[in-house]
Amino acid sequence: MKILKDLLELQKENVISQETATSIIKYYESQKGNTTNRLILVFGILGAILIGLGLILILAHNWDELPRLLKTSLAFIPLIISQGLCLYGLLKKQDNAVWVESSSTLLFFTIGASIALVAQIYNIPGNTASFLFTWMILSLPVIYLLRSSITAILFVSGITYYACHTGYWNYPSEGKIEYWALFAMVLPHYYLLYKNKPKSNFMTILNWLIPISVIITLGTIGRSSEYILAIAYFSLFGLLYLIGDSEFFSSQSARINGYKSLGATGMISLLLIYSFDEFWEHLRRRDLIFSEIVATPEFVASIIISILALVLFIIQIKKESVKNIKPLSPLFLIFIMVFILGLFSNLSVVIINLIVFSLGILTIKEGAKLDNLRILNHGLLLITILVVCRFFDTDLSFILRGALFVFVGIGFFATNYWMLKKRKSNG
Amino acid sequence: MVSRKLIVALFIITAISQLAVPAKMIFDREDIMAEGKDYKFKTEPIDPSDPFRGKYITLRFEEDQFEVQDLEIWERGEPIYLELESDDNGFSKIKSVAKSKPLNSGDFLKAMVRYAHGTNSEKLTIQFPFDRYYMEESKAFAAEQAYVDALNDTSQITYALVAIKDGESVLKDVLINGVPIKEIAKARAENSK
Repeated sequence: MKILKDLLELQKENVISQETATSIIKYYESQKGNTTNRLILVFGILGAILIGLGLILILAHNWDELPRLLKTSLAFIPLIISQGLCLYGLLKKQDNAVWVESSSTLLFFTIGASIALVAQIYNIPGNTASFLFTWMILSLPVIYLLRSSITAILFVSGITYYACHTGYWNYPSEGKIEYWALFAMVLPHYYLLYKNKPKSNFMTILNWLIPISVIITLGTIGRSSEYILAIAYFSLFGLLYLIGDSEFFSSQSARINGYKSLGATGMISLLLIYSFDEFWEHLRRRDLIFSEIVATPEFVASIIISILALVLFIIQIKKESVKNIKPLSPLFLIFIMVFILGLFSNLSVVIINLIVFSLGILTIKEGAKLDNLRILNHGLLLITILVVCRFFDTDLSFILRGALFVFVGIGFFATNYWMLKKRKSNG
Repeated sequence: MVSRKLIVALFIITAISQLAVPAKMIFDREDIMAEGKDYKFKTEPIDPSDPFRGKYITLRFEEDQFEVQDLEIWERGEPIYLELESDDNGFSKIKSVAKSKPLNSGDFLKAMVRYAHGTNSEKLTIQFPFDRYYMEESKAFAAEQAYVDALNDTSQITYALVAIKDGESVLKDVLINGVPIKEIAKARAENSK
């Protein structure tokens, strides 16, 4: 290892004591042990996934020649074996993460396989929704009894697929509450993971998977007054952003912090979409009757999510001074006001454009303050996208649009040049 | 800390319920097959494959529409109960359609409304709960061919043999002129070798 050579040299030159050198070496060796363990864990899980999927395929061959009784007994064998492996893990290998995670992965797949196989033997038609639901319910206890994070990950993926199947791909859509109930049941595991192993890879995966699952599923809650969903989604992205900006997550790298990335990207994408007049035009044209909307799940969801975001926002204000509040944090509140305004007036689209523009400017300012070219160029990029969007709005004259482009182009050059020059003079 | 014994006990309960679900499915179907009455439904066909459950042929039934008076009250995906009767050749026909279980008749089947929006006729299209017949992978294609040939040849009669008990059904076999499709597919697959 390169560091070992460096350490020897540093020790020789009396930069560090021998004690420090030994403890540094020890630290690196312990880390090395961790990576091997992690590799074994990854391969164990991958192996179990492959075996599980392979079993499903082999069983799917549908062995005609075998008598029905034998086929039905065969349906249970993989399930019983993986249950046995899990039980052995519980009794003898509780601290062996590789054993526990691999055997519960196998169990997860064999539960699905045995149900699917019985369905095949008896020609039960494909009711995918109830099949997935049963599968997930039966897998849920495995998450807690074996403390298996991989099962939690597979479970969240499975219930998201279930929600899409029932909510988007099927008519009439059903099973709306079921997803949220199942989703709530996985959260305690997530919390325990956060308490016990906040830096583990499983936590990182769930930090992305959980918000993604909610983002995908929120659209299934209702279709009768989908305009209200705009608020639900905006507040959801606001909420995710605020979670990502909380004390625990804000100290983490962007790779781990799925909430902040997804929240910020989501809000900005929505703002760009709503910077076109189309949405607002439709909104104005529809006679939204308040008493009818109040009872819709979209409205209820919007209220709940907005309140949750508001609570987090208030907590954040109390902790930090108002000056330190990031511009994206209160954005969901502004959006709600703009939306309500949009019901009566055509000013909303102008305000949205101004918001995006100011976000761009604020980001550029922050980039300049922190001497960070990446942030600065993000701000410029945002303004560029806004200008490109306006380019498609044909009601602006060519001269105006052209001027905008030239202006932003000059802005790119000028700011980058100015920043580099500042760096040079400082360095 | 929850005690180890409790966790193991809970795991055993979980494992039993994981076994119980497929076991219950098997038990129910076996019960229908043993105690239910056999019905024959004339069919029409197709071969997609389901990644979870292998190869199957999709069955379409001749008698899958039923004329109703007030189309608006029927909703897509809604469960319905079909009262069945036999025609002169012993094939099942739909006698009536109802939203609730018929009380006085034993000959009924639980099914689903596939479509209810007829443009030119006031008809319900019915989704039967037995529209898939699973085949061994190697035989599915031959079976499909046999099925298509039989359908093009009007002299051949293809039908599904279904056991029904209390409205619940199990597809037992698919037959062409009284010969199980598995046997025809096997013979075809061997001939083509």
